[in-house]
Amino acid sequence: MLATYLFFGLAMLAVLGALGLILFKHPMNGAMSFVVTLISLAGLYALLSAKLIFAIQLIVYAGAIMSLILFIIMFLNIQEKDLPLDPNRMFYLAGGVVVVAPVAGLLIKIAKTIESEAPELAVGFGDVKEVGQLLFTDWLLPFEIVSILLLVALVGAVVLAGKRGVN
Amino acid sequence: MVQNVTYLGFIPLLPLAGSLLVGLLYLYACRGKKGFPEKLYGLLGCTGPILSFFMAVKVYMSLQALPADDRFLHHKAYTWFASGELDVSMGFLADPLGAVMLLFVTFVGSLIHIYSIGYMKGDPRYGKFFAYLNLFLGSMLILVLGDGPVVMFVGWEGVGLCSYLLIGFWSEDKENVVAGNKAFIVNRIGDLGFVLGMGFLFWGIGADGFDYLSLKANAHHLTEPIGLVVCLLLFVGATGKSAQIPLYVWLPDAMAGPTPVSALIHAATMVTAGVYMVARFSFLYAHVPVAGEVVAWIGILTALLAAIFGMYQDDIKKILAYSTVSQLGYMFAGVGVAAYSAGIFHVFTHAFFKALLFLGAGSVIIALHHEQNIWKMGGLKSKLPTTYKTMLIGGLALAGCPPFAGFFSKDEILYSALATGHTSIWLIGVLVAGMTAYYTFRMIFVVFHGKPRDQEAFDHAHESPKVMTIPLVILALGSIFAGFCNLPKLFGGHLRFSHWLAPSLTEHHPHGGVGLELLAVGASVLAFAIGIGIAYRKFTVPVDEPVYRGFNKFGFNKFYVDELYHALIVAPYKFFGKAISRGLEPFIVDAPVQASGWLYKMAGLAFKVFQMGYVRIYAIYMVVGLSVMSLLISQSLN
Amino acid sequence: MITNYLSLSILLFCLGILGVVSRRNVFIVFMSIELMLNAANLGFVAMARLHVNMDGHVLALMVMAVAAAEAALALAVIILLHKHKGNLDTNIFSLLKG
Repeated sequence: MLATYLFFGLAMLAVLGALGLILFKHPMNGAMSFVVTLISLAGLYALLSAKLIFAIQLIVYAGAIMSLILFIIMFLNIQEKDLPLDPNRMFYLAGGVVVVAPVAGLLIKIAKTIESEAPELAVGFGDVKEVGQLLFTDWLLPFEIVSILLLVALVGAVVLAGKRGVN
Repeated sequence: MVQNVTYLGFIPLLPLAGSLLVGLLYLYACRGKKGFPEKLYGLLGCTGPILSFFMAVKVYMSLQALPADDRFLHHKAYTWFASGELDVSMGFLADPLGAVMLLFVTFVGSLIHIYSIGYMKGDPRYGKFFAYLNLFLGSMLILVLGDGPVVMFVGWEGVGLCSYLLIGFWSEDKENVVAGNKAFIVNRIGDLGFVLGMGFLFWGIGADGFDYLSLKANAHHLTEPIGLVVCLLLFVGATGKSAQIPLYVWLPDAMAGPTPVSALIHAATMVTAGVYMVARFSFLYAHVPVAGEVVAWIGILTALLAAIFGMYQDDIKKILAYSTVSQLGYMFAGVGVAAYSAGIFHVFTHAFFKALLFLGAGSVIIALHHEQNIWKMGGLKSKLPTTYKTMLIGGLALAGCPPFAGFFSKDEILYSALATGHTSIWLIGVLVAGMTAYYTFRMIFVVFHGKPRDQEAFDHAHESPKVMTIPLVILALGSIFAGFCNLPKLFGGHLRFSHWLAPSLTEHHPHGGVGLELLAVGASVLAFAIGIGIAYRKFTVPVDEPVYRGFNKFGFNKFYVDELYHALIVAPYKFFGKAISRGLEPFIVDAPVQASGWLYKMAGLAFKVFQMGYVRIYAIYMVVGLSVMSLLISQSLN
Repeated sequence: MITNYLSLSILLFCLGILGVVSRRNVFIVFMSIELMLNAANLGFVAMARLHVNMDGHVLALMVMAVAAAEAALALAVIILLHKHKGNLDTNIFSLLKG
């Protein structure tokens, strides 16, 4: 029971946050709504017994990535006059809803075919230890490759940011 | 029984390989500034023909060793194509007729190659010349050695091509190129007749094998009308290749090529291919006498016409060219009255003395620095003794003076005409013999006797180098002694040549009696004497270039035949071509092609609308595509 | 029960697509992409819960790592774009015009 209420509450928050993201004019407001979404998603992960993911979501996503985004937004010092005019926003939104509806319909139809009773959990499901063990045995190669990816991103960011004298 | 020998294939292959080698060397030398020494080209160019000559001698000896009715050497290299009932293989057949042709083609060919070493000295395209000349010899050998009409046609076309290439050899002069084109195009018209004839022949009797031996065996199956059509169509091809009426117009213009070319191609070998063809198909022509009549009449009329023209020409090579046309007319008259061996005998002797005359003319032309007008020559016998003596021998042979070669061969033809009842042909032949003597000695007296008309050129003239005069001497010896191969009984001979050729030909030798033979001989000698006498009277006194009026003018302008052809055939054709190219082609050909290009351009412009450059729009395209796909998948999942 | 989670994931994903399509602000577009990634993450974790298989968690981890890398680079590019044009409108970049 509690789980159901929690679920609906957190789901509501997530959707409201997403709506805020796509509807607010100033990116700062949009970013803040997005943070709300991220935190509610973390709650949902916890409901699904994904302990490590819950923590990582809060730390990495809501913590690091969103901080970075907010920092850049503030750094660029966006004024009212810098924001693009976007007069046809609602029209595009309406059109978008029409176009996206079939996609959503298909996906939901597929989702409905899945057997949906949550089975019994093993002990230690979602624990840090279990995820760690998987990472270093079955998923070792992707793990290493992701680390290389992060290195590449690091170097790329340094190179991109170091460009001087461009106009 | 036909023996299989592999070396037959090498006889045409050697000159062809030589041509390829010399051609590649020349092309390689063209890229850089330094060329190969002329001696190298000359050596490589002459090796092929000389080796082929030795192999031809070997063929002759092998044939001699075989019993008389069995003299066939055959080599089937490979099956060229087989479709339906037609099975053509690249094969070579050497029988007595082929051996004779082979011998003199390679012999005269080798001599002319050696002569060219001296004639073409200093020409920057020396290598190209020998490549083409070897290519020609190879093609001619394929023609002669082919074992069926299709292989013969390969050689036929090849010699036509080489004729075109060599006539237009000095291609910086537009007239030479035009002459080459004329030769090729007129030849092509004849070739169409040849191909049609081959087609009808196949339709008639070709199903059991399309080579000479099979065709000969099946010849009696051929019905009269088809046989007539075949013979006439094949003869059309011969009129093109061997310059008879109405397709002779290319041969005088072909004198634009270098003189060795004129000697080899347009005197000794290529132009005799038509006569060879009629002799090869003697089993057809013997069954259809009407075709033979047509051949004989066209031949003798051509002889008459060309002799008339030859009497007026002032270019030394053109005189010889018309003389060639005239002598070819004799040969066709011979094979037309079913005297095939007489015709081939005249081919044989004609090769010697006509090549000799041409090479001698070349020697004169070189000595006078490329002067060809006889009215600018004169008195050269003191300056060019060897040339003069050999040309005199050649002239006597051509005019039919006994005991030189031309007398015996011409006499054989005329006697055959008389003995088979073709009296009018015989009379015209005697008249032409007189005219031949006249124009030949007109040329010799004007060029070599009397006072020099151009003193400066005369002073600079000197005899040609040995590499050019030795072939002249050898050919002169041939002109003297070649006639003795076929001495008729009247003179104590055994007609050895005709008997040698008998297995290849379907021939019935006429028996006219001694009286008729004496009449023929006497008339020939009389005509010769009258001709040379008139020439002597007119041209050994100092005389300058005459001015022609009336009929003479008509004759000097070759009866305006070239102009007639141009007006009737060439000009309308060109007009037609221009009309189509200007009026029809832009609409029928250019418009659709350009329209399709324009269509694609328009389609491109239409699609350009979708590429605005805004990435957001592209993202929208992606989403739209995704949604359409989901719609389709939802439908199918239902 | 898990179907609800999946429906939520789908809804968030579609909202993300809407955000990419309908907004011209560079930041909003970028954050909509992050929203889509998160929706996918939710899907992974939900399915992991359904099949009692931890591979979904590991994948979600990978996705987050990739999202982090991508965020860093995308923001660097946004800064450069701002330096170039002084404007945050996606519509002014039309060099790909055909």
